[in-house]
Amino acid sequence: MDFNEAAGTNPIDQTRVVGHAHDRVDGPLKVSGRATYAYEFHNEAPDAAYGYMLGAGIGKGRIEALDTAAAEAAPGVLLVLTHRNAPEQGKKGKGSARAQMASAEVRNFDDPVAFVVAESFEQAREAAHMIRVRYVTEPGRFDLVAERGNAKKPEPKGSTLADTAVGDFEAGFAAAPVQLDVTYTTPDQSHAMIEPHATLAIWHCDRLTVYTSNQMPNWAQHGLASILQMEPTDVRVISRYIGGGFGSKLFVYGDIIITAMAARKLQRPVKMALTRPQIFNHTSHRPATIQRLRIGATPDGAITAIGHEVWCGNQEGGTFETAANQTRLLYAGKHRMTSHRLAVLDLPVGNAMRAPGEAVGLMALECAVDELAERLRMDPIELRVMNDTQFDPETGPERPFSSRKFVECLRTGADRFGWAKRNPKPGQMRDGHWLIGIGVAGAIRENLTMKSAARVTLDPQGQVIVESSMTDIGTGTYTVHAQIAAEMMGVPMERVIVHMGDTDMPEAAGSGGSWGANSSGSGVYAACDKLRRVLAQKAGFNADDVVFAGGKLSQGNRSVTLESLADPQGLSVEAEIDFGDLTKRYAQASFGAHFCEVGVDLATAEVRVRRLMSVAAAGRILNPKTARSQCIGGMTMGIGAALMEQCVVDTRHGYFVNHDLAEYHVPVHADIPDMDVIFLEELDDKSSPLKAKGIGELGICGVGAAVANAVYNACGVRIRDYPLTLDKILPHLPPMV
Amino acid sequence: MTDARDSVSFLLGHAPREIRGADPTMTVLEWLRGKAGLCGTKEGCAEGDCGACTVVLAETVGAGLRYRAMNACILFLPALDGKQLITVEHLAERALHPVQQAMVTYHASQCGFCTPGFVMAMFAAAHTAPVVDRGAVDTLLAGNLCRCTGYRSIADATLDVCAAPVDDQFTEAEATTLAVLAALPKGPLALRHGGRRFWAPDSLATLAALVEAYPEAVILAGGTDVVLWVTKQFRELDAVIAIGGVAELRELTTDGGVLRIGAGVCYTDAMAVLAGLHPALGELVRRIGSVQVRNSGTIGGNIANGSPIGDMPPALMALGARLVLRRGVVTRELPIEDFFLAYRHTALAPGEFIERMDIPILLEGAVLAVNKVSKRPDQDISAVCGAFMVVIADGWVADIRIAYGGMAGVPARAPAAEQALLGRPWNEATIRGAMAAIEEDFSPLSDMRASAAYRATVARNLLLKLYLDHAA
Repeated sequence: MDFNEAAGTNPIDQTRVVGHAHDRVDGPLKVSGRATYAYEFHNEAPDAAYGYMLGAGIGKGRIEALDTAAAEAAPGVLLVLTHRNAPEQGKKGKGSARAQMASAEVRNFDDPVAFVVAESFEQAREAAHMIRVRYVTEPGRFDLVAERGNAKKPEPKGSTLADTAVGDFEAGFAAAPVQLDVTYTTPDQSHAMIEPHATLAIWHCDRLTVYTSNQMPNWAQHGLASILQMEPTDVRVISRYIGGGFGSKLFVYGDIIITAMAARKLQRPVKMALTRPQIFNHTSHRPATIQRLRIGATPDGAITAIGHEVWCGNQEGGTFETAANQTRLLYAGKHRMTSHRLAVLDLPVGNAMRAPGEAVGLMALECAVDELAERLRMDPIELRVMNDTQFDPETGPERPFSSRKFVECLRTGADRFGWAKRNPKPGQMRDGHWLIGIGVAGAIRENLTMKSAARVTLDPQGQVIVESSMTDIGTGTYTVHAQIAAEMMGVPMERVIVHMGDTDMPEAAGSGGSWGANSSGSGVYAACDKLRRVLAQKAGFNADDVVFAGGKLSQGNRSVTLESLADPQGLSVEAEIDFGDLTKRYAQASFGAHFCEVGVDLATAEVRVRRLMSVAAAGRILNPKTARSQCIGGMTMGIGAALMEQCVVDTRHGYFVNHDLAEYHVPVHADIPDMDVIFLEELDDKSSPLKAKGIGELGICGVGAAVANAVYNACGVRIRDYPLTLDKILPHLPPMV
Repeated sequence: MTDARDSVSFLLGHAPREIRGADPTMTVLEWLRGKAGLCGTKEGCAEGDCGACTVVLAETVGAGLRYRAMNACILFLPALDGKQLITVEHLAERALHPVQQAMVTYHASQCGFCTPGFVMAMFAAAHTAPVVDRGAVDTLLAGNLCRCTGYRSIADATLDVCAAPVDDQFTEAEATTLAVLAALPKGPLALRHGGRRFWAPDSLATLAALVEAYPEAVILAGGTDVVLWVTKQFRELDAVIAIGGVAELRELTTDGGVLRIGAGVCYTDAMAVLAGLHPALGELVRRIGSVQVRNSGTIGGNIANGSPIGDMPPALMALGARLVLRRGVVTRELPIEDFFLAYRHTALAPGEFIERMDIPILLEGAVLAVNKVSKRPDQDISAVCGAFMVVIADGWVADIRIAYGGMAGVPARAPAAEQALLGRPWNEATIRGAMAAIEEDFSPLSDMRASAAYRATVARNLLLKLYLDHAA
């Protein structure tokens, strides 16, 4: 099914099932420990051997000598794989896959040096630590600040250009009566999902099956095939349940590739999980940024010039953090420029983490806008409203937004949160030792769509079975697919069975970039639409005005049960949604506004969030229960980004020091106070037949700035270097007495 | 220990199990997921930070069963001896347990990987104290990290289902469980696995004899640190002496104005008594680790560890606590500040161990303040931990004890600051003098948790805060 024109009225608009707050269908399995994750497929491979990865202990250099004799002789050891005996591999492949242990070169800390396979996990681990490695350490580039001057203009990242320019920014900014020129920095961050990356690899002759934890099974399938130099059709990737990803599991790392290589060599299933410390340096992270914002405005608050320059780093060939992206769309302004510069760093590979680009870009932009408001003596909400735009400001009115309720989000939030009570002068509200402040920030997240297929089968019992390679990383996709199929086929959700996370099923969008539910759900819509036509024809109905309800299809006073039309072996159809150029013709994004109240302790500068409320407009909300939780989860990650999350770089040895959950802080319960989300009613007919937009990442976008703006309002301290930890704030606090 | 058993006996759910010959330094988590094939219990971090591996241990206390949430990843196998191990699989043997149903209803499970840990922490709470408000939820679940839900739905589920004790298949079966537990073999353990030895004596005398005979053996209390030596530092522990079975070390008594806490008393058991001594102590303990960590970790272990950032030592110094150390039949006492010699180096002689702490009960009118300052409100190591005990008589400082953690290689008193206060009028000028004197007491380090300048400023500010809170 091609989606090239705005959706008209369709069966989803009935909203008998879609749009309602259903419990997640996989809930009972998960709460009773019966959902099977990658490392737990004992029944599929009872004889699996255990692998343990030994990662490099240096940031850059090469292996000079490797003594594996003791490990090879250790009890239970079946194989010690190193660069000396690793099979020949393709260099790279889809899903950022790259060869593992292909040479003596060490590309980053915890780059695999050896992989030990043994009869038990303990034996593998023990033997791995008997391996003696001598390295030649080479000087590495580990410090973004130091390498900023060497940063270059990178190749486009997909369709995202490094630079954009409209009008004459330099002249426009120079001429602006009110000017702001500020630089913000954000640190490297880690996804810190709770399930470590894990893989079980099984070979059946020359066909490989991997059970792994991956958001994009088809990328992993193709990436693996490239590295292992085989046909993608001979690789099957299964990811039924995924214990969180947030972007970390979009990609293919050593666990998948090495496990597959070892299993092939041993002709025996092998499984392995990365240890928690290895996750931080071996897999990807959100890269640090330096962001300079220059905004020029008239005295009454109209933005005339806006410039956003970003510097970040990555390994050679790596991509850049698109942190200026939102600045291309969020506010009006005649003279504009954005740029991204990429330095080569020898730190672990940087890549997407929840809302890549916007999550950190808004932490800078939305603070800068507050700084401008203060300079203009304007209310920060009024400044944002004044500079709203209903079309892509880089292109012009010919590219309007498909839907944009940014101002409504700000207004609704201001009303519900009690914005009017805020004192614009910092440091005026106190509660005992605590200075209290309120802050706001806008949210935008680009709406991405990906082509997606599904197979729908009607079985002779009248059950509807939905199959695709889509994944559910906790977002609720199993439930949303069941809702869509139930809506389309006119059956209760209990009659729908959803299977996903298997590349032997039709290729779906996968989970990433907030495109999951909208894109893959549209694939299910397309397949159901096809099945409806087939069934109508079988029943001898005119397809266009058949009603599917109550397990029957009816026309006029004639009706037929679904099961009566199914063949004995079931009636199966497959279809794909293919998104055309609507995202080019219309700017598409989800919008929101965050309101935050914090307290700052006068004696210690500890910051505690007291209230956080978000208003979101993201098209049709397919399931308010799953969507709300996605938002609150994102908001929580935003609090983390504002106040605590940071991979601390050892710039001498080139690794992230705090590589565990004790020292890489994510929010705990006590960090998360009274939180709420309000969804504005919105249907976006240019986004998809479901009229939904992405929601999975909107929650994190802008929260960090709302927190930082609240901290400023509380104590008058503006920290432009995230996270806002107590030691950065304390020296600037007013006296206690 | 000639009468010792060479196997570990416990209930797995409702089924008696005996494990013989297993590595005693294998964790309960490794055993569950690997050997027992029970994968409902998850491994998220393998070091007690995330709570995904939370299981519940039930044991006989008085006439009933006591349910406690534990991190299976920082529990050696012998800790199961004599207890009932309950995992997420056991809860839903018939239908979903009320706790599990609440997690579904409130959408408190997303990716589901942290979920079994939450379920078990909530299950234990549903069998113990009612959870009445959000603050109680934060405390109960501080040791369970969730990266998906943002906690709101989990808190709502907890407040619903843990508001009153639940009646479930476990309460139904309580009489049977008690009888089966009572029938399990009792007495000390002496386990062997290859060259590795593991003793769990059941009397103070046997313990003292063992420690004296094997001075190089690792003394294991709650294991919240020692297990990590194995799983994270890959150390081989060839001789381990566990103190958990020694009844004398679990005693908590008040005697002549002194609170005596045995070295084997876990934080959870000490918490109520310490809170009774002073609310600030209860609040401090509440913020140490998490419920799971406090259910196994002991104050004795926290001290014996000699860490510069242990949170209990500064408070104990401010209170004037003394340690009772034992070697064989000989005991000696010393003030706790004399125990810490240098970074991770203590006054314990070979063959000696901590038997108990004696904490003087606060005098009428004495002010106590304890401030644990950390970036994250819960589950975080202190940047600075300050503890203050001051007695003000007629506007003059009659007694003062100040101690800090995180300011030096060991937790330590602040003698110069104390000197600047003692015998002086209790006013802002005196406090400012003491604040200046702290510079003589400490030269803190900069690290990930805080800069040296931050630590020095906060150490001063906490003194000022003490004064502002008790100016009158």
